[in-house]
Amino acid sequence: MPVEVILPKVDMDMTHGTLAVWHVAPGDEVAKGAPLFDIETDKAAMEVESPASGRLHFVTARPGDRIAVGTVVALIFAEGEDVVEVAAPATTLPEPVDAPRVAPPAAGARIAPAAPALASPEADGLLRATPAARAAARRAGVTLADVPGTGPQGRIQRDDVTGHFGGHVGVQTGPAPAAAGPTLWSAQPGPLHISHRKGRGVPLVLLHGLGTDSQSWAPLEKALGPDRPLIRIDLPGHGRSPRRRLRGFAELARMMVEAFDEATRAHDQVHLLGHSLGGALALAITDIRARKIASLSLIAPAGLGPEVDAAALTGIIRASRAESLAPWLRRLTATPEGISDDYARAAMKRRADPGLRAAQADMAEVLFPDGVQPFDLRPALSRLECPTALIWGRSDHILPYRHALAAGGDFAIHLLSGAGHIPQVEIPDRVARIVTRHLAGVSPGG
Amino acid sequence: MNAMTQDQGLRTLSYAEAIREAMAIAMEADPTVILMGEDIGVYGGAFQVTLDLVDRFGPDRVMDTPISELGGAGVAVGAALTGLKPIFEFQFSDFAMLAMEQIVNQAAKLRYMLGGEASVPVVFRLPSGSGTGAAAQHSQSIEAWFGHVPGLKVLQPSTPEDAKGMLLAALADSDPVMIFEHKLLYKMKGHVPEGSYLTPIGKALVRRTGTDVTIVAGSIMLHRALEAAETLAGDGISAEVIDLRSIRPIDHETILASVRRTGRLMVVYEGVKAFGVGAEISAMVAESDAFDFLDAPILRLGAADAPVPYNPDLERASVPQVETILAAARRLSRREI
Repeated sequence: MPVEVILPKVDMDMTHGTLAVWHVAPGDEVAKGAPLFDIETDKAAMEVESPASGRLHFVTARPGDRIAVGTVVALIFAEGEDVVEVAAPATTLPEPVDAPRVAPPAAGARIAPAAPALASPEADGLLRATPAARAAARRAGVTLADVPGTGPQGRIQRDDVTGHFGGHVGVQTGPAPAAAGPTLWSAQPGPLHISHRKGRGVPLVLLHGLGTDSQSWAPLEKALGPDRPLIRIDLPGHGRSPRRRLRGFAELARMMVEAFDEATRAHDQVHLLGHSLGGALALAITDIRARKIASLSLIAPAGLGPEVDAAALTGIIRASRAESLAPWLRRLTATPEGISDDYARAAMKRRADPGLRAAQADMAEVLFPDGVQPFDLRPALSRLECPTALIWGRSDHILPYRHALAAGGDFAIHLLSGAGHIPQVEIPDRVARIVTRHLAGVSPGG
Repeated sequence: MNAMTQDQGLRTLSYAEAIREAMAIAMEADPTVILMGEDIGVYGGAFQVTLDLVDRFGPDRVMDTPISELGGAGVAVGAALTGLKPIFEFQFSDFAMLAMEQIVNQAAKLRYMLGGEASVPVVFRLPSGSGTGAAAQHSQSIEAWFGHVPGLKVLQPSTPEDAKGMLLAALADSDPVMIFEHKLLYKMKGHVPEGSYLTPIGKALVRRTGTDVTIVAGSIMLHRALEAAETLAGDGISAEVIDLRSIRPIDHETILASVRRTGRLMVVYEGVKAFGVGAEISAMVAESDAFDFLDAPILRLGAADAPVPYNPDLERASVPQVETILAAARRLSRREI
């Protein structure tokens, strides 16, 4: 955890102080006890020492600002600590008052949260963005500091601003991460969790849906047999992946692309399979990593139409007891009686952590505001050139299978009787048969 | 060499033959056109470009000059001042160094210094480039040097058709024109129209359209860039390839229009990378409104910062090759740069 730098009380009756000058620039190293900044009160000027050794980030006060005692004005991160905003200092900067103006610190004095998890474009105190990204941001009225960069060294490129996925400006539509209100959880650093099952041939990458995790693939994995190598990626805030504050689908997709690149580094090509939200993410990944994808299988993918049963999603995600979870789980399937109370209790055990539920609930709210799927992957689907199969339960109550019928593009559609939203759990053998045939048709022996 | 040059059913000539045809057409049409240079008469020139022309037009119009580039170029500039249209061949472009006074201080400046009362309609032909195992003093690509001289026009034909059309355009121009001909291109075959035609000076040409990255290249680098673009297409990377054709004047608008579309720019040239054609084009783009459309740093691929090596492997490694262009374009398009 970073150490908070606060405006200290240096006078008995002091309530505010004026920050005169920073001695350390954002991003620079500072040793514990070294002069960090000067403050001035009505009576005195005083040097404030650094409370810790490390690097200075998230500076929220400028020289000349009048600040209340106790306000967090910056964070100091220890060497090697990931620079992510842990608990945003909810600082309000009062109007600057007349005070000795000292030369403002160099360009680094911007106030902006770093993009969680991605290399910070501001790591060196400067915002790294291409001219095209800057122009796009100007046109769209977007603040570049809010856009996570996917280029080298976190550079923000045009696609990052315009929202490559679905072609809408998707990154700043949600609430700003720092303004997410009272919360039971905080963002966590580190890469998304990737697990591998060894085998022979071209690996199959599995992307699960909202509110579950990679363990949900177990029935399908069993049905697929032991030979094929598998790569599973846990979505942020799911399974063993760190929790992340998200601003929209585009940002989530970029995180997944990054994890996908990492997970498939050793392979020229992989097969990709995604379910529900994981299906939408698989489409987004295929759209920009087309050469890497040997085949695409989508089980009840999101992103192909506006309708979604948000009540069921929210119900599953928010449920805090097996009794309240069970009815929603039953809504996922074509055969509700298949979901026993024991099954619900086991599922609830995996969702026992209230922080996990809160993180997923926030994610659902950002991804499906007002119970709608705002991201549209139909253009991506119509652009696909790799062999693609859509697998959908006829009794899917969460996402209607007619989205598949209405979408453009060249792909196979498998409509399954007796299956709801999770055919890979309900009828894993039949889904495995379709997937196996699809993959075999693509790369014999693969 | 490339599909572009193998149009079936059309008349094809080699690059050298196309230049020879241009000279013959001009000499037939205009008695003031003369050829000068070392060994260009009976021997036909170091690269056999002027072969047999002395038989057709006689030694008065196809003149072997002594081994003194300064003297020969000086006579050519003087002849141009007094009403002739000399085409002076440097055996190797490297030898133009010996004639810098005449090219830079005289030919390029006299029209300005004489208030437009005189002009110097001389054409310098300069066999150029590496790849022939001729070592450091016979393998340079110094066209950018002359791009720095107001008063000169500097051309770089990449196809037989342009080699002919540019030479005829140079003869039609009343000011000094330098044409850099790549030694490796002399034998390249391609469609060449019959009769007289002029390739416009100062106009680049989009040889392949694309959407992901703009590659500007001239002379032999054009062909390497086109070959790379073909492979890139298989990778799903759509490269737009622009034949620069003219170094001075340079065609800003064709390049800028392309960069506005692709957001990515690579300049490939055979001269030493530093202070070269790539620097000029990069800076021109950075100074223009197309800057706003750049979505990645501009890349220059030029020759190594060293004299061209004699060892054939090192010689090859010292200048951009198809695989160099390919690797750079992939990195540029995949956000690795």
